[in-house]
Amino acid sequence: MAEIVLRNLTKRWGSFTGVERTNLTIADQEFLVLLGPSGCGKTTTMRMIAGLEEASEGDILIGGRRVNGLDPKDRDIAMVFQSYALYPNMNVYENIRFPLKVRRVPAAEHHERVMRAARMVELTEFLERRPGELSGGQRQRVALARAIVRQPNVFLMDEPLSNLDAKLRVSTRAQIKNLSHELKVTTIYVTHDQVEAMTLADRVVIMKRGVIQQVGSPVEIYDRPANTFVAGFIGNPAMNLMTGELRGGVFSGENVRIAGINGPDGAVVLGFRAEDASVVPAGGDIVAPTYTMELLGDATMVAVRAGGALVTVKAQKDYRIEIGAPVEISVPAGICHLFDAAEGNRIETAG
Amino acid sequence: MRFRTFAAFVAPSLLLMVLFIAAPLTSVFVQSFFVTQPQIQRVETERCTAGFLEQQCTTEIKNVPVLDENGAVVTTTRFVGLDNYRAVVRPDRAFAALSAWDWQALMSIDFWKALRFTLTFTLVTLPLVVGLGLAIALAVNNTMRSIRGPVIFVSLLPFIVTPVIGALSIRWLFVGDGILTRAMEAWSGTEIAMFAQGWTIELLMLFYRVWHVAPFAFVIFYAGLQTMNRETLEAAMVDGASRFERLRYVIVPHLMPLIVFVSLIHLMDAYRVFEEVVGFRSQAHVISLQWLTYDLLQPDDAGNRAVSRASASAMLTMIGIVILLVPLLRKSWRDHKGAR
Repeated sequence: MAEIVLRNLTKRWGSFTGVERTNLTIADQEFLVLLGPSGCGKTTTMRMIAGLEEASEGDILIGGRRVNGLDPKDRDIAMVFQSYALYPNMNVYENIRFPLKVRRVPAAEHHERVMRAARMVELTEFLERRPGELSGGQRQRVALARAIVRQPNVFLMDEPLSNLDAKLRVSTRAQIKNLSHELKVTTIYVTHDQVEAMTLADRVVIMKRGVIQQVGSPVEIYDRPANTFVAGFIGNPAMNLMTGELRGGVFSGENVRIAGINGPDGAVVLGFRAEDASVVPAGGDIVAPTYTMELLGDATMVAVRAGGALVTVKAQKDYRIEIGAPVEISVPAGICHLFDAAEGNRIETAG
Repeated sequence: MRFRTFAAFVAPSLLLMVLFIAAPLTSVFVQSFFVTQPQIQRVETERCTAGFLEQQCTTEIKNVPVLDENGAVVTTTRFVGLDNYRAVVRPDRAFAALSAWDWQALMSIDFWKALRFTLTFTLVTLPLVVGLGLAIALAVNNTMRSIRGPVIFVSLLPFIVTPVIGALSIRWLFVGDGILTRAMEAWSGTEIAMFAQGWTIELLMLFYRVWHVAPFAFVIFYAGLQTMNRETLEAAMVDGASRFERLRYVIVPHLMPLIVFVSLIHLMDAYRVFEEVVGFRSQAHVISLQWLTYDLLQPDDAGNRAVSRASASAMLTMIGIVILLVPLLRKSWRDHKGAR
């Protein structure tokens, strides 16, 4: 059983810092997703846990054992790579068997374990094929089977779905979720796709420039973003963030005026989600000419300029408006999130 | 591409290949079945000198070449079947030597002596060149990026040296009073003569060829290593493969097409070994097939060149190369088919 603890984990290349003093405890059997834009240090963090990258400072503990100096093979981990990283000269069966072979697992067990892993990812029909003869989704399933065949303590997955097309991504994602539930193995999953993070994770870690921004369950991160970065990163569309001034419970800015907000007076950033607000015929908090209208099928998105940003609101699917025509949007105080203007950190409001 | 465009691009090279490769090859092939000799006629001449009572006459029978009206020797060319090949291979003597298990006797026939050395040379240098090339490529690939350039440059130097010059410089280093011989003598305390017996010369020849060709293998393999998927190597590390297992299961399979390519090129080159025999002046001890052909073309005391036998020898060399290449060509053909 493997709990993973990162203590002050840091990675530097010369003067460039990839990961800055990261502290994180990943519970046994937890599915943790590292989420962030490219270059945020999420892959570096995972590679340090795997042992493919040496930590500049700090400790990595897996199952209570410090593994900093150990080779990847001695850390009892399995990894799935973005490019699948299969052995092109071996067929599917040999690919899955490879970890057993090089780890001197008794040969008598090989066949049964390979077949079990292949069944779990539904690959039994393709065992004789070379990776070159498989589709992307099948290849990634081979990589998954190769990872689970050894029953390691920790799974590391580095953007495993990024090279798949949208449709395959959904089905493979479901398969990964199901596998992790079945195998009950601690899993760290790196992605830049928030949908993957939201659907798969027990907890999500959001990183930016090597620093953790927020750790929490998908619901927490969506409902209570810790700062404007998280707010602007999570959700589709991302949270609307308007700059303005709060005075006596009234937020005012370009084209916007919202009353009834608890918070300290001064410059603030006010955020709300597109689906929480609504377009109203009159008496809206935001009044502005329509900037654009997008038809999504299940809804119509209306965008206006307000508070120094483009603000998007979700309307009924049959709602139509001309570009340039004035629109009124209702933003109740209850749906609003407050962030301080300087640092972007969340200001807890009483409501 | 339209056929005309294709033809326009390919034609010049095709023309030159026909002119300088196909045509000479055909000519050599044909010549190897014919013998060209000057036409000889038997002339009876009677010479008489004035004598006291009777004339003194002597008749003399002489063989003289037939001359045409311009005074040039008339030659005839005749088909002799495999006679030229027999004259080179000497199957009768070789068979007698083989059935008597007499190695010395077999080695006293030039062709077999040359074949023995050529095969040894080719088959010993091949694994050394591939192995050393791979080792250098892996070493360079693992050195720091900052010193990689100079390391590559130094590794390539032997390849740039002209073959004959390279062979000569090795000879000068190891010849009777060469500095390396002197150094070895001073170190071991015994007389050393690297050029007094066949096996030491052979050793130097092998060493020289490996030294000269390994950089070529290195460059090819190094290029191949750059296309290696780094994640596949890392996957092997995580899966538990040791350094050697990564080499065996991941790197070598990835480089296999290049290994086959280098082997093909090297087999063709090494089987035609010639510069070493000339550069090391080894013909008293060690000769190669290519050198044999060259030797047959040298005018003998009467100024005749054994062109027909040289052609047969050249054809035999070619056949040897083809036989060596077949397994490799079959492998790459199978891979080619399998890849599709």
